[in-house]
Amino acid sequence: MKNRILVVEDDTAISELICMNLTVAGYEVKAVFDGDEAEKAVRTQGDFDLALLDIMLPGKDGFELMELMQKKKIPVIYLTAKGDVGSKIRGLRSGAEDYIVKPFEVLELLVRVEKVLERTGRQISRINVADVEINLTEHVVLKNGEEISLKPLEYDLLVLLAKNKNVAFSREQLLSDVWGSDYLGETRTVDVHIGQLRKKLGFSEVIKTIPKIGYRLED
Amino acid sequence: MKLWVKISLLMGVILFLAMGIFGGGIIYQTLEYNRNQMVESSQEQMKVNAAVLAKEIGDRSMEQFGDTTQRSYLTYLVQKYGGRDYMLLKDGEVVANQTSYRLLPGQEGRWQTTEIEYEIQKTGGRYILVMGQRLGTGSRDHYKLVLVKEITSLYEELFKQVGIFLILYLVVIFFAVDITFWLVRMVLKPMRELEETAMAISEGDLSRRIRIRRNDEVGKVSVAFNQMADRVEYQMAQLEDVSERRLQLLGSLTHELKTPMTSIIGYSDTLLHVKISKEQEKKALEHINSECRRLERLSGKLMFLIGLYDENRVLKEVYPVEKLLKGVEAMERYHMAQAGITLEISCKADTLLMDVDLMESLLINLLDNAIKASGKGDRILLLAEKNRICVKDYGKGIPKSEISKVTEAFYMVDKSRSRKNGSLGMGLALCQKIAALHDAYLEITSELGKGTEITVVFPPQQEGQKEESL
Repeated sequence: MKNRILVVEDDTAISELICMNLTVAGYEVKAVFDGDEAEKAVRTQGDFDLALLDIMLPGKDGFELMELMQKKKIPVIYLTAKGDVGSKIRGLRSGAEDYIVKPFEVLELLVRVEKVLERTGRQISRINVADVEINLTEHVVLKNGEEISLKPLEYDLLVLLAKNKNVAFSREQLLSDVWGSDYLGETRTVDVHIGQLRKKLGFSEVIKTIPKIGYRLED
Repeated sequence: MKLWVKISLLMGVILFLAMGIFGGGIIYQTLEYNRNQMVESSQEQMKVNAAVLAKEIGDRSMEQFGDTTQRSYLTYLVQKYGGRDYMLLKDGEVVANQTSYRLLPGQEGRWQTTEIEYEIQKTGGRYILVMGQRLGTGSRDHYKLVLVKEITSLYEELFKQVGIFLILYLVVIFFAVDITFWLVRMVLKPMRELEETAMAISEGDLSRRIRIRRNDEVGKVSVAFNQMADRVEYQMAQLEDVSERRLQLLGSLTHELKTPMTSIIGYSDTLLHVKISKEQEKKALEHINSECRRLERLSGKLMFLIGLYDENRVLKEVYPVEKLLKGVEAMERYHMAQAGITLEISCKADTLLMDVDLMESLLINLLDNAIKASGKGDRILLLAEKNRICVKDYGKGIPKSEISKVTEAFYMVDKSRSRKNGSLGMGLALCQKIAALHDAYLEITSELGKGTEITVVFPPQQEGQKEESL
């Protein structure tokens, strides 16, 4: 079971970029290129968990699509080149969950998507990685049906990596996302916890060390 | 000090001096005249009296009388021929005195000739005319006749006049200054309005004007001021317009830069952080490559647009128009077939002086616009006649209000800025620039829903150059 995301973006290069990353990270993606197409997609197959909306679109623009999205209860993240405060305020006031200004970083996009899904209670309840199943609602990790006991921070770290499969995180990013931005720890802490995860779950091949960057959980 | 105060004061001072000098002069003249009159009449009178007295005294031999008799006789004579104002001296001694004055000691030696001598003496606020002469009696005794007459009334009259004059003088000055004061204020009232308006304008209310009520100098200044204000307002509006356009251009530019940037940053980010297939990797690299090229194209066009394009690189040659149109058609054929649009060409022009590359890109730009505006099955005309080359489509047309703006860089009638056709929104701005390099201009006519016609109009003298080339 994967989260379905609607990507409304008229620039094909950017649309492909977003789709590529979302797919790799484990989402199901539907790309449309103008406002009218987006409206049709929502009306015919309205079970999207999230919509990434560009504001300046051919046909109906992002603000106009908002009403429909709210009616269908699809959370919206605006993804736009309009970086002025006025547009941001308008976007967020109109009911968007988040507002990302182009150019954006892929990692930021993924994390924001994840957070919105979490906040709106649409995140999937379980993630499967190799022979390990993570039950997000019950906070239980099963390997071949057997429960593995993880410390809270180890669990958070595993969930972050598993939710963003195939995406590399730097040690600093992991530290700030899992331990919190005001944690004054060393990046060595991350290495220790990764070591623990690898040992407990037999993930020495699954969690890869990417030279000069950090860690990545691969399918 | 305010101008009206200054003018009023100045006016007052001038009036004061002028009237003072004038009045003073007249009063002085009157005094002189009256006194002279008085002196002259007294002299006349005295001459007659002196002659009669001299005759009477000369006819009698006075020595025969006693002293007392002489005196009473002389007194009688003075009384008879002179009057109350005369006194008679004999050998320096007063012998008959009809006046109420006494001769001061030491005065007896005066009046040695028969010519009349006179003076006006002032004693205790009284003015007294003293006049005397020797009588030509022919006897050996010296007789002198002296006239003493009070003329204070003459002066009193004068002082009275001065008083009246002063009162009139002050009243006149008071009213004159008062009237000047009001007149000046009235004349200068538009100045206050001028000042207020100027202040209002300098504080930003550019639409304020002065009401013009008269045709005098102040009125003319007001007219000139209003004209100036009109001009300033117009120029300000133009400046604001230009700066707004600049701002829009900049805004569009950053937007235009952001889109390729987003792709490049995103794909390179993905390549660095995300495990993707070889195929996807290739795709990402292709995207990065093409977006970089787009940036390059954009910067090239921008350079051209801001005028950094070296004019020496424009290589103009005499080129057959038909060949140009055919070349453009060949380049656009695929594009048009894809869009399901037919291109019709008609060429009634010979040759024109042009830079072929630039002119081709101009026409391609125009055709691309026409294709974007047209739908499947529409046709586009590419016509050439004499010094005009025209691209005509039957597409959606441009709203009237937008026609003047379409030649702005990055301007797109469709606000969504669809870049599906790879357009950069700089088309018409560039076309205009290219046309200008050929001393040509663009003529745009359009009707909403019916289509657009854009004509490149070359200067007519190109006809002549055509002749030369043949």
